[in-house]
Amino acid sequence: MIITGSVIMVMPGTSQSVEKELLAFPQVTLQGKSDSGMDMIVNIEADDHNELESLCQKIKDTIPAIVDIGHIYINFEDEIEKIQARTWQDYYAPNE
Amino acid sequence: MNLTRREMIKLSAAGFAAAALNISLPGKSSGDDGIVVDKWIKGTCRFCGTGCGIYAGIRNGQLVGIRGNPKAATNFGFLCVKGFKGYVSMYHPDRLKYPMVRGEDDKFHRASWDDALNKVVNKFKELHQNFGKDSVAFYGSGQCMTEESYTFNKLWKGGFRSNMVEGNPRLCMASAVGGYITTFGADEPGGSYADIEKARTLFIVGSNMAECHPILFRRVARHKIQNPEKVNIIVCEPRLTPTARIADVWLPADPGTDLAVFHCMARELIKNNWTDSWYIENLCRFSTGAKVVDFKAYEQFLEQFTPEAVEKITRCPAANIKEAARLFGSQGPTMSLWTMGLNQRTRGVWANNLIHNLHLISGNICKEGADSFSITGQPNACGGVRETGSLCQLLPGTRSITDATARADVEKSWKIPPGAIDPKPGFHTMEMFAKLGAEDDTSKPLKAMLVSTTNPAQSLPNAPKYYKGMKDAFLVVLDIFPTRTTQLADVILPAAFIYEKGGVYGCSERRSQLTQKCVEPPGEAKADLWIAAQIAKRMGLEKLIPWNGDDAPTSYKMAWDDYRECVKLTEHTLYGITYDRLKQMEEGLQWPCPNENSPGTSRRYVRGYDPLMNMAAIVKVPSNALIYFYGDKQHEGKANVFLRPYKGAEEPPDKDYPFFLTTGRVIEQWHSGTMTMRVPEIARSKPNAYMEISPSDAKEYGIKEGDMVKITSRRGFNILPARVVKNSLPGILFVPWFDQTWDRMINRVTIDAFDAGSKQPEFKICAVKIERIGDPKDVADSYVISDVNAPFPIKI
Repeated sequence: MIITGSVIMVMPGTSQSVEKELLAFPQVTLQGKSDSGMDMIVNIEADDHNELESLCQKIKDTIPAIVDIGHIYINFEDEIEKIQARTWQDYYAPNE
Repeated sequence: MNLTRREMIKLSAAGFAAAALNISLPGKSSGDDGIVVDKWIKGTCRFCGTGCGIYAGIRNGQLVGIRGNPKAATNFGFLCVKGFKGYVSMYHPDRLKYPMVRGEDDKFHRASWDDALNKVVNKFKELHQNFGKDSVAFYGSGQCMTEESYTFNKLWKGGFRSNMVEGNPRLCMASAVGGYITTFGADEPGGSYADIEKARTLFIVGSNMAECHPILFRRVARHKIQNPEKVNIIVCEPRLTPTARIADVWLPADPGTDLAVFHCMARELIKNNWTDSWYIENLCRFSTGAKVVDFKAYEQFLEQFTPEAVEKITRCPAANIKEAARLFGSQGPTMSLWTMGLNQRTRGVWANNLIHNLHLISGNICKEGADSFSITGQPNACGGVRETGSLCQLLPGTRSITDATARADVEKSWKIPPGAIDPKPGFHTMEMFAKLGAEDDTSKPLKAMLVSTTNPAQSLPNAPKYYKGMKDAFLVVLDIFPTRTTQLADVILPAAFIYEKGGVYGCSERRSQLTQKCVEPPGEAKADLWIAAQIAKRMGLEKLIPWNGDDAPTSYKMAWDDYRECVKLTEHTLYGITYDRLKQMEEGLQWPCPNENSPGTSRRYVRGYDPLMNMAAIVKVPSNALIYFYGDKQHEGKANVFLRPYKGAEEPPDKDYPFFLTTGRVIEQWHSGTMTMRVPEIARSKPNAYMEISPSDAKEYGIKEGDMVKITSRRGFNILPARVVKNSLPGILFVPWFDQTWDRMINRVTIDAFDAGSKQPEFKICAVKIERIGDPKDVADSYVISDVNAPFPIKI
């Protein structure tokens, strides 16, 4: 399970509408925003990094007023344990 | 308040993000109670030249997470996918863990460190004895730590008395170095990243920042979005990249033709009085390169570059050039930012000069928001290689090896006899690989090479041309994974990842930042500095390189202090940048930083900002000068505005090879993919290289999305899938270079012609032809070389 601390940057004057539209994404928790409203502090939760990336893309596609989603912290401590347990057979690397 | 652990993690994660933007989250905990690590250790990212500050989370001796450092002046806490995930490759099972020596059966066999190092040292001694001091070369990297590059450079130039020292920054930054030195007399930009937010016009040239420097691009994009009416973006780039998509003005010039665009912009600046007469009179010297001329001659020279004439040369619309000039000259302050699109050219130095011209004549330099700023590609190309002088013609402090005073100063610092440093530059990178070969080949003066932290068998242009030399010579490779280069090696020495050793990186804005050692390297892998120092010790040079102990932090600090002393009285002084200060400071320090009280320098050449303006022991500056380019060899404090003639690419398209090929990076992958392709998420998102082609060209050649195509130059070919994209102009193809798969290694195709001044090759431009060879095929194999004994794909 991944939990991020992220910043969603929105177009000026759109923070309230974006806030409402974000309610459609239960994986996103709004924690606060800047005085201008253009920077929203959120958590995004996803099963793995791939899901996180596709979720972020979906959010941006669904809400055009979002300019950018930037991650400051990604908590993937469960993932690390899996990574450390991997062997090379877990990676797809066919010989030439 | 009774919070679950998940809620605690969420609040802590939000707290990190809020801190980055200085936003308070009232009533909520922003501590890190929910994040289970033993400690957070400060460091830097190693996956581009931005120099993003990070904190590495350590638990039970393992690195378990990365977060951005909100107090870092480079990234304010933001990281890109490589920054977050790249470190995962540290734990990949393919890591090189033991020294390996090639046996008589042509296979690698595990060896002890003693045996491997003795083999290296004995061979180097033998070659020195039989073929002279210049028979053994060092080829380093803009990813080595500063202490490592400095040590190898000192070992070669001070110990072996040989200038056969090069590094892969020759392939990416040499033209920027040449541009700064020929224009200003001194390398590296004068301003800082902070100028981005102060600029009103940003001129981005030959740089797909959105993918190659995503965190810097974020700063540019945020600045634009927060000030949409005030901030203007110009992008000069042949592809409509994600960077170009935010531009107010796009200048789509054909590859290699932009010299004409820059001259045309200069002409427009002058015609419309968007120039600064004080700068022109006091800070500009007009020069053909051979002789000094006056401003009038410059004006007359530019007359040939009318917008209409330039449109014919470049395909760039005249109206776009005029508008770009207007924004550049009348809507400043203006900051230019560029990378490889300008540098990786046979006219790379000239292209750099012409950007500087625009800034100088319009007065857009040495002011807030105004600078001519080259972004470096690698994390330590500036700090590690340019500043330590780890190229064949340089000494520490980016001083010329042909400068007798500089040699004497370094000899004194290194406590070696006067005259010990050879005044003759060694071979530059392309010459080095061309002259590397077998002991019985009298045409090849170089008989051995030690390669550290780079993969020339994949990254050299026209790479196969150089394989025989690498295979025939005695090749020693320090790396963390098997690569195309280790496949050609005789000895492989397993090195440590940045977080397994620590050390200093210096990023594009002259900022030095310390990464502290976080964890132990795997198996018997060793810090690169230890390897360098052990070679020195075994070659009888322990007094020169005494930092050969097992404790990495101690050794790296000793090397850093030695380096600080060596460059103490140079224009690049970082004497005041001590390990203690770097440990304490979240954002590191920018040189010049001449003493421990200095806060560093955000803007060079300007009184009140640059401490060297008042330090006669280092540079002489008239007391009444507010701005003074003290690197000027004429001692007039001026910069050169060059009347460079127009010249296009070395190999433009013709009837046999009708397309331009340009190459580059993508956001997910780093360089030759040896690390990032081992991060599963990254590998899945960009598992193979491809060829981008415009819809009209695709139609003409009967190519559909995903079809397999053969792309052929006069040197070699690739077979890879096509991507039909609207962002390529007709006639221009793009292939990223990260893929290790033989069929998709694009440097089999690129040209090895290089700039006469900087010796940097023209990776960005060559002529190719294409043919459709089949239907779509699944090539998403995320290929990496896992076995050091995997056979090389061709017989050499």
